[in-house]
Amino acid sequence: MFLTKNQEKMLEGEMGEVIAINMKLIVKIGEINEAEKLIPIKSAQIAGVSYFTVGEAIFSFFNLFSKEKVKVKVPSWLNPAGMDRENWEKMGISKKFAEKQFQIIEKYKEMGIETTLTCTPYLIGNQPNYGEHLAWSESSAVVMANSFFGARTNREGGPSSLAAALTGFTSEYDFHLTEKRQPTIKVNVETNLNSLSDFSALGYWYGKNFHGETPFITGLPQLSVNEAKMLSSAMAASGSVTLFHVKNLTPESDITSLNNIKERIIFSESEKQSVYDFFAQKETDFDLVAIGCPHASLVELLIIHNFFEDKILKKNVKFWVFTAQKVSHSKKFQSIQRFLERKGVEIFTDTCMVVSPIIRTKYKHILTNSAKASKYLSNSKQTKVTFKSLNHILRSVTE
Amino acid sequence: MKSITIRPIVEGKKEGQAIVSLLPISFYGDVDPETGKILDKSNPLYGKSIANKIFMFPESKGSTVGSYIIYGLQVNGVAPLGLIVNTAEAIVITGAILADIPLVDKPESDIFSEIKTGDIVQINTIKKEIVIKKRMGID
Repeated sequence: MFLTKNQEKMLEGEMGEVIAINMKLIVKIGEINEAEKLIPIKSAQIAGVSYFTVGEAIFSFFNLFSKEKVKVKVPSWLNPAGMDRENWEKMGISKKFAEKQFQIIEKYKEMGIETTLTCTPYLIGNQPNYGEHLAWSESSAVVMANSFFGARTNREGGPSSLAAALTGFTSEYDFHLTEKRQPTIKVNVETNLNSLSDFSALGYWYGKNFHGETPFITGLPQLSVNEAKMLSSAMAASGSVTLFHVKNLTPESDITSLNNIKERIIFSESEKQSVYDFFAQKETDFDLVAIGCPHASLVELLIIHNFFEDKILKKNVKFWVFTAQKVSHSKKFQSIQRFLERKGVEIFTDTCMVVSPIIRTKYKHILTNSAKASKYLSNSKQTKVTFKSLNHILRSVTE
Repeated sequence: MKSITIRPIVEGKKEGQAIVSLLPISFYGDVDPETGKILDKSNPLYGKSIANKIFMFPESKGSTVGSYIIYGLQVNGVAPLGLIVNTAEAIVITGAILADIPLVDKPESDIFSEIKTGDIVQINTIKKEIVIKKRMGID
């Protein structure tokens, strides 16, 4: 692989041992994937934050960074943690867990990473630009960056996105290259997608059937950022998909070639329904509604707010919404929150139902409008999950 | 002595006893980072340690936290001497690079019929080969 003089110096340790090992990681991954060179990245989005998912192993990993002080070279943001950094006690998080979680966040902060603690950096002012190269590791944000914004990133792991942030480079392979961004499956949507969860169902169904393949989707009249977010997260979770194109609606759809299409399929009402049926339960003993996977936008909070105008939450059910702390700083948010709190709806920031330990231990039956969350929560044997649209959920838990 | 051509990923020359898993390994969950012991009850290697051995398995699977676990094995002094896999993917590559554990993949022949737990095996990435030094293993 071609390296510039500066990159070689970094690799040989002239900028310190920590930079050298991170550079080695970037170069090795590039060599295995037949990259010809390294490319500078504009931003990094780093996973490996929740103490619930990374456990004690993360502290051994941090040993690697204890030798020298190193700082990230590009704007870098953190994925969600296992708790709300302010209201963790209210969530029911133990003090021991909170201490560990704060240590992890602090370690990343020392490296100059912004402690955004969200899976939706693009909802808090960090939208990538068309054609920019990135190293993002949150799988749903990776698909959003590639598909909705037309930026370019592979599905990085926590360590490789951090290595890219510390060196400023990633290897040029796979989704950084135009020829690797061409669709292989054509999907015609022949049913109405009426809710965010319908987009989640499309994503889940597609990913489950076409692991890792890039689709070219036709038949969609529009695609909002919230709809794209649900579609992205579900296809990443069920099928490790990195990129999708939607005819006339995503930035690269006009310039992609359909020469590599190997299969044409239809997404009809019955395919859509199959995802709801897959995550259905006989019982209606929900004890928690969980909204905000990926993190809820102000628009989604407003929909919930408006629904509750003349309704209250039924007893014996909790209603939790997860969002980014930065979303909560707006004035609009604060009035929404005050209103919803009176109705019994709690909003937590920095975390979500997938990466917080409390959801699986405290609640038995979770109702959500996210197919991604449904997939991960149903991995736990003691948790039942029901997947429904937000409207359906709101109607069934209010009076 | 038999040598088998491989693709080197993380360089090194290491010789030791092989420990062979026929099942894919999820380092997160299947391997104890404190002791190097296999925690997966469905694996015949359950309870055995990969520390200071040449660990061979078809492929890695599961959570990307596995990379941190491989690094943790090194920090705790219970890392394997080397890793031999059929196909290396991101989790094991990342962990092996950070922990500086020799890693090779893409063997030219079926290593799982050639190498058994207990055999003495050498990884030599300069020569792009693994060498079976002594067959001690029991089928």
